[in-house]
Amino acid sequence: MVAAPVASPSLNEATDKDPFNNNCYGTMVDRAYKIVALPVLDVNDFNERIVRGYEEGYGERDLPADLSVARSLIPAGTASLRDFSYIAPEIPEYIPANCTGCMDCVTECPDTAILGKVLGEDEWEAKLQAIPEADREMYRAQWSKTKKYYDGGKKKAGGVGGVFQIIIDPSKCKGCAECVTVCDDDALKMVAKTDEVMVKARKSHRLFKDIGPSNEKYISGNLLIDMMLKEQTHIYTGGAGSCAGCGEGTALRMLCAATGSKHGENWGIIAATGCNTVYTSTYPYNPYMVPWTNSLFENAPTYAIGVRMRWDQMGWKERPLWVIGGDGAMYDIGFQALSRMFASGMNLKVFVLDTQVYSNTGGQASSASFTGQNTKMSVHGSVFGGKQERRKEIAQIAMMHPRTYVAQTTCAHVNHFYKAVLGAMEFDGPAIVCCYTTCQPEHGVADNMAGEQARLAVDTRAFPLLIYDPRAGDTVKTRLSLMGNPNMKGDWFLHPKTNQEVTFIDFARSEGRFAKHFDKDGNPSPTLLYAKQDRLENWRLLQELAGLR
Amino acid sequence: MSEPLATHDYTSGELDLVLEFLKRTRWELRSLRKVDVWKDRVQIFDVNGDYFEVRGIGYPDADVVPLLKAINTAFDPQAIHEPTNADFKEFFTGRRHAWAEDRVM
Repeated sequence: MVAAPVASPSLNEATDKDPFNNNCYGTMVDRAYKIVALPVLDVNDFNERIVRGYEEGYGERDLPADLSVARSLIPAGTASLRDFSYIAPEIPEYIPANCTGCMDCVTECPDTAILGKVLGEDEWEAKLQAIPEADREMYRAQWSKTKKYYDGGKKKAGGVGGVFQIIIDPSKCKGCAECVTVCDDDALKMVAKTDEVMVKARKSHRLFKDIGPSNEKYISGNLLIDMMLKEQTHIYTGGAGSCAGCGEGTALRMLCAATGSKHGENWGIIAATGCNTVYTSTYPYNPYMVPWTNSLFENAPTYAIGVRMRWDQMGWKERPLWVIGGDGAMYDIGFQALSRMFASGMNLKVFVLDTQVYSNTGGQASSASFTGQNTKMSVHGSVFGGKQERRKEIAQIAMMHPRTYVAQTTCAHVNHFYKAVLGAMEFDGPAIVCCYTTCQPEHGVADNMAGEQARLAVDTRAFPLLIYDPRAGDTVKTRLSLMGNPNMKGDWFLHPKTNQEVTFIDFARSEGRFAKHFDKDGNPSPTLLYAKQDRLENWRLLQELAGLR
Repeated sequence: MSEPLATHDYTSGELDLVLEFLKRTRWELRSLRKVDVWKDRVQIFDVNGDYFEVRGIGYPDADVVPLLKAINTAFDPQAIHEPTNADFKEFFTGRRHAWAEDRVM
């Protein structure tokens, strides 16, 4: 295929519409398009002609139905070129003096829109001198000297402290305020997007990318939460079409970061149809920097078996393959394929985005939905109060397959999440990591609440954390760990301030999907009390299996 | 803790004035995040940590229930009036209507 002449300037360079080149490849520093040697995909032509058509608003109307369009192939990372700066009225602002460098905001952002960088003070000072004087002090003031990187860095980096910056990519931020919510240090606040604010944000993001990568001397290998300081972990770029604050977006980013930290871009994804496939391939935008493919709702694990076999033949045994799907794909429609994949014993890893509902297709109940949940197919009415069945537990089912690694986790439990994912990859055989993911429209919670609700789901036994590692011993109780759950030996978590039980009723009270179960005096319905009992019985079963009862 | 952006002094039986105060000043806060209910005051926080304070009303008072409902607080109206050893009771205000919750098949 002959490449079309590249228009000047390229979309990967500054343009009149994007004068600071915020919408370009590379998350921490600029990079070129990721070229692939395929006769059916010309990356330069795709990015410059097709992506440009959509960015400039004439794509659907004027692009010819040629082979490039008809094949629906999308190059890696095209979402980097997407501009979301116009969709939200507010954007976070960084307050360096309050920052501790905890990296929670960077980790929990669903859109790769808030980034961190650490440099040695000497190299930072030298690089600042290269910035035009008019912008230098403005940019200098956005760096902080934290105890973690500055004081700690002095001890391990030849007496030179590390200076740390958080930056917001204004072209990718959707204004959900998740970062502000997870910040315990008042180092971020939401501000209105005035012209002045946006020019400063765009310019600062450009300077952030130009100043170069983090100095890895200041990144501790023991602190998993610091992994997103490295470019190689940003496999999931900003620009995906998920809702503001989407819990799935954060989960995919963290999954990609953990896998990228070990394998760079040498791994792949087989995705089952669902929200995740829609917002990561809304034509022509793809946030993944690794090979990704989607066939159907029901066959992702089967599809992965085929790819695994071919990759192994090619000598790519060491390259991980993640099979990604929602609860609809893995608990329901693709369940048989999933079970078969576990039974194969093959080295495949499954990641479940568990929203407890078919989020993409309009909110139908899945077998992962909680009892009492108001969904399409289990509408809350005068006879039935939402879903009447109990939730199915994919983790327990997976544990009973031969030699299968199983984890249940959330993005709010960062260390647990990363340990679960890294453990799954280290395991030489099939593995499943089921992640609680908040779905704002279906759960009925605010855009900034993904992390808070995931934490509450764990605290109230709605979704217990677990890791089942077949390598850990000869008995179920030695293999199964419930570490990370509060009050592991008790029935319910006791609130440390009030000493009162925190139960599934408290969780239900905080989400719109259960709102109809409460009368005007706040009393829960019999169905909801049944759901509470169901969650308690599930928790007690896990305690029993883990040898805690 | 910083000073509240706005305050209102509640007097018994005048809940309407509290609700009117919240409506009138609501634009000064961004997305609401949580509410701290003290024995004698209610503090309504946004995601930035800025807050309003309604003084003279607390968890023992009957009028605190409609006040908390008006700002979409996830709380138990049966337990709200119970005494606590803590300084205040804290609740999230992040509940929203689920998409198409009144869908008709």
